[in-house]
Amino acid sequence: MEMNFSQHISGQFNTDLEAIRSHMMAMGGLVERQVANAIEAITSGDTSPADEIIRREDDVDRMEVAIDRECTQILVRRQPAASDLRMVLAVSRVVRDLERIGDEAQKIAFHALEIGGSANSGFCQQAIRYMGAEVCKMISGALDAFARHDVDGAIDVVRHDKLVDQQYSAALRELITYMMEDPRSIGQAINILWILRAIERIGDHARNISEQVIYVVSGADVRHSSLTEMEERAHPDNAAED
Amino acid sequence: MTDQQLTTRAKVERSMTRRRRAEMRFRAYGVMSIAFGLLCLVVLFSNILGQGLSTFRQTVLEVNLHIDGDALGISRQSSEAEISAADYETLLKNFMREKAGATSRDDRRLAGTLVSVGAPWQIRDAVLANTDVIGDHLRLEIIMDDDVDQWYKHDRDIGQPGRLKDNQIKWLESWIADGSLHTRFNTTFFVNGDSREPELAGIRGAIAGSLLTMLVTFLLSFPIGVAAAIYLEEFAPRNRMTEIVEININNLAAVPSITFGLLGLAIFIGLFGVARSTPLVGGLVLTLMTLPTIIISGRAAIKAVPPSIREAALGLGASRMQMVFHHVLPLALPGMLTGTIIGMAQALGETAPLLMVGMIAFVVDVPNFISDPATVLPVQIFLWSDSPERAFTERTSGAIIVLLAFLIVMNTAAVWLRRRLERRW
Amino acid sequence: MPIIKDHKTDGLPFSDSPKLKARNVNVFYGEKQAIYDVSLDIGANEVIALIGPSGCGKSTFLRCLNRMNDTIEICRVDGQILLDDDDIYGSKVDVVPLRARVGMVFQKPNPFPKSIFDNVAYGPRIHGLVEHRDELHEIVENSLKRAGLWNEVKDRLHAPGTGLSGGQQQRLCIARTIAVDPEVILMDEPCSALDPIATAKIEELIDELRENYTIAIVTHSMQQAARVSQRTAYFHMGQLIEVNPTDLVFTTPQHSLTEAYITGRFG
Repeated sequence: MEMNFSQHISGQFNTDLEAIRSHMMAMGGLVERQVANAIEAITSGDTSPADEIIRREDDVDRMEVAIDRECTQILVRRQPAASDLRMVLAVSRVVRDLERIGDEAQKIAFHALEIGGSANSGFCQQAIRYMGAEVCKMISGALDAFARHDVDGAIDVVRHDKLVDQQYSAALRELITYMMEDPRSIGQAINILWILRAIERIGDHARNISEQVIYVVSGADVRHSSLTEMEERAHPDNAAED
Repeated sequence: MTDQQLTTRAKVERSMTRRRRAEMRFRAYGVMSIAFGLLCLVVLFSNILGQGLSTFRQTVLEVNLHIDGDALGISRQSSEAEISAADYETLLKNFMREKAGATSRDDRRLAGTLVSVGAPWQIRDAVLANTDVIGDHLRLEIIMDDDVDQWYKHDRDIGQPGRLKDNQIKWLESWIADGSLHTRFNTTFFVNGDSREPELAGIRGAIAGSLLTMLVTFLLSFPIGVAAAIYLEEFAPRNRMTEIVEININNLAAVPSITFGLLGLAIFIGLFGVARSTPLVGGLVLTLMTLPTIIISGRAAIKAVPPSIREAALGLGASRMQMVFHHVLPLALPGMLTGTIIGMAQALGETAPLLMVGMIAFVVDVPNFISDPATVLPVQIFLWSDSPERAFTERTSGAIIVLLAFLIVMNTAAVWLRRRLERRW
Repeated sequence: MPIIKDHKTDGLPFSDSPKLKARNVNVFYGEKQAIYDVSLDIGANEVIALIGPSGCGKSTFLRCLNRMNDTIEICRVDGQILLDDDDIYGSKVDVVPLRARVGMVFQKPNPFPKSIFDNVAYGPRIHGLVEHRDELHEIVENSLKRAGLWNEVKDRLHAPGTGLSGGQQQRLCIARTIAVDPEVILMDEPCSALDPIATAKIEELIDELRENYTIAIVTHSMQQAARVSQRTAYFHMGQLIEVNPTDLVFTTPQHSLTEAYITGRFG
């Protein structure tokens, strides 16, 4: 008997599974660029990428629908089990998270347009730049971990999400200080608040993607669990080799 | 791409012609072989029927005989023994001389030989059956001699005298003219046993012998064969011993039948002292011969019962015997019966082994029981075919027709039985 | 040689309330070993599915449980199989009552060529379960009802069982099996010859039967195993690779061989 289990008996099944994975990766790449551009628009004060971001959000939505349909097709036609089932479910969930990230990037772009040229007013610029860079890394880290079935990489992303959350709290306090000092800046500050909030949400979605990596690899559903719990369950003694 | 497809199709087309031709050829071979078989069958049947059908007609002379009680020395009050002992032969001879109007010494002799030597007994039997005819006239169809019979049925049409003298033919022609000499259905052939005189020889003895022999064969071989088949197929452990038994049974089916005759002679007659020439010993020998056929066909029938039925029974907790008797045997029985009947048909046509156990003896009496001396149909055929008289050649074919009829009946019964038993489910 | 040396079954091969216990069972067909050291509990009132590629020994193992392998002369069974703690391969055990306690339903529907009534009545008759004809009638009716066949055949109980459709025949076979009131029912691919509707009916029936019986089912259809069973045992080349609750086996199998088989990477 052939003992190489990397391939299904059905070549088409292999192709189909590979297709949803690569389509998800492509969508991830697009979303990641959207976020990076949005952060760039905010921090540089150059609003020109913002229009582009808003336009491309439609592409992201279309990709989500298309990939979701492919997942449904596989579920219907192949009745996948075990790792295949987990892969399809995870892709379907990840795609939804990516779409939300896309939404958040669009929101940032809107706010960038609203703030307009006055972006360099200085509120929390540091925090936005830092957090933006962080979540971009998280998205790519999560997608990499997914591609490589890398549980440790995924846990690393979750760890980063903690940092982003801390920075978000710090930035909020800073913002409140500004608003109390100068009530005229409240309008501006609220825009900044929404932007910070969007970035923080992107971090959360990246964390969700990482959780799906753990689900795909080890079968453990680690949503809504703490980091230590996650680490424990992602590495059971006899994790399924794949 | 298109080119290649075309050439592929062309290739297929070309091979199709070849294939069709091969198929046609094969079909033609089949038709030819079947036609050849049919032709042989037609030749055989027409030959046998052509020779044998005339057996079923018999030449008789219708006479109105005066039973002269005084001349015979009997009266209506005479005892049976006295009537039996009376000299009917002279009575008949005198009558024939008168009827022929023979005066010379030669003519008187010739007139007397026209009737069968059995004719006086015919008169005796008629008188015994009805003593009122003593002193009166008796109307009787007297059986003619085989020479007359043959002349009437065959030679007369082509103007040959056969073995008759001119005078005799003259008399016969005149009797034909007045309607007293004619043919009737040959009941003698079916009610008499064997005889040296062809016109008196019949197959009743042989038929009775065959039936009794078959009865013995069936009563022995069917239960033994079925039991052996069931044991070997369902119960016997698979080991060297059963393997040897199996091989031997298969080999026995191919042993020349005369060997069984020798075996029967040595064992049944030599060792156990069973009487020779009886249906009992014949049946025993034929049982030996038929058993392998029945066992082999019985095993095949048992094997043909789907294993799923066995599993179903065993799975429900039936014991092995319950499984066999409740499920396997009822399903296998039609096949077993067919095998048995085919084996019996084979045995019915068997001659060689019976020769060895003395069933070739000349037996006139019809056997009533399995221990009476008897012969069987095929042996009777064999005996007659060896006789020089022309009339016996005719009877040989007649007996063959009867034997074939028996075989056809048996095979039809096999088919019918099979259908009937199978139709239940 | 076993394909994996010193293999220990992954997962939970043992049960808290075992009905049948197999311990270190080895099965040989002549020189060839078909089952290697299988230990497995079948819990009371559970449906356990035995899955695995063709020739993996799952049917062989199933047939050990009511000694149907006895009918194969060259088959030899080592180890212990306990039904309620009695060794069914004990020297004093008679297979006839054993098979009444552990019934079997086969791959191909195999009703006897008798009437529907006689099919169901056969078991009770041979085991002497009834005294009167009324009682027999009651058993037949109840068994057919439990097999979900009563309404379809009540008007033609004396028609031949072989005249039913495939699915009905298989339910008749199940009725026949439960007529002798077994404790365990073994099913050897009971739906492989049936269409999806008939299959669904049998699966529904299996689910209902679980209340009163312990059921072990061999199946080639992983979806069927997933639908009907509480636990799934995966056999591979005569070894019991993994036993786990069915939902676990089909989402996160423990052993890579199980994973490869149920995801369609071989088999």
